[in-house]
Amino acid sequence: MWAKILLTALCLLMIWGAVRFDPSRPRSLLASKASDGPHLRLITWNIGYAELEDDSRAHTSDLHGVAETILSNDPDAVALQELTGPEQLRVLLGYLQGRYRGAVALPGNSDRVDAVLVKDRDARFENLPADGKYAIAAAFHLRPQSPAVVLVSAHADAFSATRRRTFTGEMIDWTRGRLRGSIVLIGGDFNFELDAKDESHFYTDNVKNDSEAYSYVLKYFRDLGRDAGYTAVNDRRIDYVFGPPETVFLHRAEVLRSAGAGKMDHWPLLVEVAL
Amino acid sequence: MIAQLRLEFLKLIRSRSFLLSFIALTAFVALMLWGFYSYAERKAGQEVTQQFKYTYESKSYFNGLTFALYSVMFSFSLLIPIFVAMTAGAQIAGERQAGTLRMICVRPISRVSLLLSKFLVVAFYTYLLVAFFIGLNLLVGLCFVGWGDLQLYPGALNLVDEPGKLLRDEALWRFVYASLSGTWALLVIAAIAMLFSVLCESPAVATVATLALYLVFHIIGRVEVFEHLRPYFFTTDMDFWRDVFKPEIPWQSFQHYGSICGAYVFGILLVTIAIFDRKDITS
Repeated sequence: MWAKILLTALCLLMIWGAVRFDPSRPRSLLASKASDGPHLRLITWNIGYAELEDDSRAHTSDLHGVAETILSNDPDAVALQELTGPEQLRVLLGYLQGRYRGAVALPGNSDRVDAVLVKDRDARFENLPADGKYAIAAAFHLRPQSPAVVLVSAHADAFSATRRRTFTGEMIDWTRGRLRGSIVLIGGDFNFELDAKDESHFYTDNVKNDSEAYSYVLKYFRDLGRDAGYTAVNDRRIDYVFGPPETVFLHRAEVLRSAGAGKMDHWPLLVEVAL
Repeated sequence: MIAQLRLEFLKLIRSRSFLLSFIALTAFVALMLWGFYSYAERKAGQEVTQQFKYTYESKSYFNGLTFALYSVMFSFSLLIPIFVAMTAGAQIAGERQAGTLRMICVRPISRVSLLLSKFLVVAFYTYLLVAFFIGLNLLVGLCFVGWGDLQLYPGALNLVDEPGKLLRDEALWRFVYASLSGTWALLVIAAIAMLFSVLCESPAVATVATLALYLVFHIIGRVEVFEHLRPYFFTTDMDFWRDVFKPEIPWQSFQHYGSICGAYVFGILLVTIAIFDRKDITS
């Protein structure tokens, strides 16, 4: 009898323990605080289509919807990926009613380009070579007295983890040179497959390369959109906004899932930080 | 009870399955070592050094601790449960099949004590198995792969979501913790196998039933379609043992899932005792 009583007591104790200890580990927005400096709102968005389409680059017919999303969220800067070229940027800037300036990256060895839009009239744009193609960076000031902000719009290869790794490494090495004296943020579609469903994937190069490339980014930056959830179809979180680990305070990270037009396979990721 | 424990332990170490499980685990470690070496051979050299420029800045990522971690992780879900289920499943059903259960039950020892002593021996065996496996991996890792810190990266093993590192000594302690948390998690399988051992006539049926139940939940838990059901599977709760390898152990979550596993173990044991106590033993 004593054994049954003991087992019952132990079972009840364990049930109490399961109720008592909360398994959820809510990750608060790191280093956020109630009141702080001026807020910087950013959007990164791959406006291309899924690979199933004939032309997976952005479609000019969708740009009106893209502009509406941008205008309704009023970001200070936007990183866009998979535009066909300067002509699409010109159309988009037209839809944005002259509220933004922008530039597209040089095409390099790719058939699609990245673009960056900023409100600041005095923004400077710079191409950033990485793995045979280009990302584009915009340097601007949120306020005249606030520190310079550099936003990089980047798009890593969708098919080769090795190329993603090389691209990421070269891009981060470029941004490291700008970290002193300015606040560097990187927005883009990195295509990292980090959520390995099958644990044994460690031994495939893809997961290993992506894991290592992501780790390299995190040596110098913080993944600001980490808690925002998936950003592309099939529950993939492949669009990122990376920011400095200490100098900005994260206020909001949200995937705008109601946005999008045509057969786009990504949603815009909005991040708001205080400088 | 002590005498009963000693008897059960003697029976266990004299059984063929006891030796077989240790031999199988040793063979698995040898296989892992071969895989590790052939992988490193394919990837080593200039190419690796170039690739690592952007990431580790440490050529010692693949070391004995990494080897032990991967070996333990891969084997824990599918290999060790087989031996635990086999041994626990044979405890009562094996006696029945051998025709000794009736004789044991007429001795002046209560059925509850008999069953509990068998379960304690299975628990000890499980710990022995896990500790042996971890120890062997560490030893092989030290001798054949080398020593260093344990570096953890996102993606691989789904263990961390940002890079982390455990210093060598701390990592060794984590392996010690893993031997305890792993045993605790495996006791759920042991308890289920004991239940089937009481319900089934043959140890083979008890073992297969336990493994079938475990594997069904384990596999279904990995199918995306059933993702919403995953929190209700005992196999999900059993995963808590891996938390000891996180740079910062999430104690709240660890205690929560550890308690759920404990509730399964003691709850199933209670049911098993209730059934066994009333069972008419005719063979």
